[in-house]
Amino acid sequence: MKKILNLMLSVSILAILSGCAEEDKNVIKIGAAGPMTGDQSKMGADLKNSVELAVAEWNAKGGVLGKKIALLSGDDAADPKQAVSLANKFINKGVVGVIGHWNSSCSIPASKYYHDAGVVMITPATTNPKLTRQKFKNVFRVCGTDDQQGRVAAAFVSRKLRPEKIAIIHDKSAYGQGLAEYFKKALSNKIEVVYYGGIVQRDADYKAVLTAIKNKRPDLYFFGGIYPEAGRLVRQAKEIGLTVPMITGDGVYDPTFINIAGSAAEGTFITFGRDPARIPTARTFLEKYRAKYGDPGPYSIYAYDATNILLTAIQRTRTTDGAQLAFYISKTPFRGALGTISFDTRGDVTRAPYVLWKVKDGKYVQIR
Amino acid sequence: MFTQQLINGLALGAVYALIALGYTMVYGILQLINFAHGEIYMLGAYVGIIVLGMLTAVGLPAYSLALTIFITLTISMLFSAAYGATVERVAYKPLRQASRLAPLISAVGMSIILQNIIMIMQGKQYRFLPPIIAFEGFSLFGAKVSPVEIFILSASILLMILLQLFITSTKMGKAMRATSQDRVMAGLVGININKVISVTFMIGSALAAVAGVMVTLYYGVVHFFMGYTIGLKAFTAAVLGGIGSIPGAMLGGFIIGLIENFGASYVSSVYKDAFAFLVLIITLILRPNGIFGQKAVDKV
Repeated sequence: MKKILNLMLSVSILAILSGCAEEDKNVIKIGAAGPMTGDQSKMGADLKNSVELAVAEWNAKGGVLGKKIALLSGDDAADPKQAVSLANKFINKGVVGVIGHWNSSCSIPASKYYHDAGVVMITPATTNPKLTRQKFKNVFRVCGTDDQQGRVAAAFVSRKLRPEKIAIIHDKSAYGQGLAEYFKKALSNKIEVVYYGGIVQRDADYKAVLTAIKNKRPDLYFFGGIYPEAGRLVRQAKEIGLTVPMITGDGVYDPTFINIAGSAAEGTFITFGRDPARIPTARTFLEKYRAKYGDPGPYSIYAYDATNILLTAIQRTRTTDGAQLAFYISKTPFRGALGTISFDTRGDVTRAPYVLWKVKDGKYVQIR
Repeated sequence: MFTQQLINGLALGAVYALIALGYTMVYGILQLINFAHGEIYMLGAYVGIIVLGMLTAVGLPAYSLALTIFITLTISMLFSAAYGATVERVAYKPLRQASRLAPLISAVGMSIILQNIIMIMQGKQYRFLPPIIAFEGFSLFGAKVSPVEIFILSASILLMILLQLFITSTKMGKAMRATSQDRVMAGLVGININKVISVTFMIGSALAAVAGVMVTLYYGVVHFFMGYTIGLKAFTAAVLGGIGSIPGAMLGGFIIGLIENFGASYVSSVYKDAFAFLVLIITLILRPNGIFGQKAVDKV
């Protein structure tokens, strides 16, 4: 028995060693990181699909620097710990750059490792401002930030909706709580915040907190969080007779929200980027994505542009050196599906166009 | 506000109570904490959402809502009962003579296996069901009561009464009580122990399936991981009521539901999950046998 075990062990070690030796030096590796499993797995899939699409286009044209591009996709399960171990795995495998992560609570810890290893990181969806306040020269984001988003939402509430009382809840995550704080800070002081508190993510029943909110009689409530919770919140709010509208952020912008909530989702306000269907340069991307994967997710187009930014930088600088790539990306405006993207000294986009959307007849409609 | 929280708590408590019954019945007969029970509930919810989805596709809910729910409940109960009995055959029966720790570990293993089977078969994302029952409730003492809540409360109370009648006045119920008092003696006087144990698992699983279908109708989403937390809370309810005691599990379920709701609304919604487990710790310190629990007598 022992002999057999020994044999099996040595065979497996051999297999591992030969695997290393076989590794192809003639590819350029880039990573796609996001929640590929768990309740936010759809977001991970959206991200991966877009990166895959961009990589396939480049490879069809002969790759970059005469080499094919190999895409490694990894799962952080929306968990900060797994995000860090995934970052280390990518670094050990020698990726040139990473597109991701999706969640703020994953991107922020992972960014430190990419920074130390000199790997370029471009996130298509992380909106927590802290990510780019760490003075990491290799970290970029192609979407907006929560303080910008919070300000847009607060301005809309203060000027257009003009409630007397408002309740604010969040899901305690880096993203949700951050957004709620920025929103609260930017809110006109004429509006009274009658409730401010957190909820438990993945919990099924939010009626207790909703009842407490209803008791304070707000004219509106704000939620900082992601669509699975938002869907249950609006549905249960209607059940207990809390009929005032919800206003929330980009994390809720997904059809699943409407599917979970049914007609209870009607009238919900959401801050999100401009409708890609209204951006002329986005048309080719949308057609290609639809043909291959079906309807694009909220951040698909951002992930696509992020990938192209990275690959263009490699081609133009003719290097895979992280510092040189980061320097090139920070200095050179990029013309992509979203229009022209240029970065400020932090690595944020110079123009973050958040607009307001509303759920109307089971669809998201851009209202201004 | 108080009335509303009372109603929310009772509806949630009814779900906990139904699941807690499965824990307590199995414990009563086998002195085993069936940690895979939360997964049976999850399975019931999945069967529920699939059947409801199919019935909605053929347009039955518009024709008769009651019939839709009845068909869904029946299929889900049958399926889960079969699953529960099979789990017992596969994971617990071979270990019946082993030390008490062995079946417990087997139960934990079964729980992980069931979760992963569903994860692989049904995917990792949320499955949702668009609301088929109107959610606008009617007012009662300043609170809103939705039709689903009425259904949950009345159906679970009806099931509890039926279960109590079954235990106290049928031959099978008598056999179950005898088995829980002394398994060996019950076998000696001619009771088919294996059958009693199978029936116990079936009933417990069917009740969990009802809870699963109710939650599907109530919240509209299912997830392969949903049985974990709720299973622990129902277990807490069973311990609070006195594990092994059927009225105890019912009462315990309602108490946990109410404590959670009042705690979340008057103290802090962030620590909602903590309240149930705080109750577990306090119970174990102050009254280890629970409310209706009997002090264990050492069998000589």
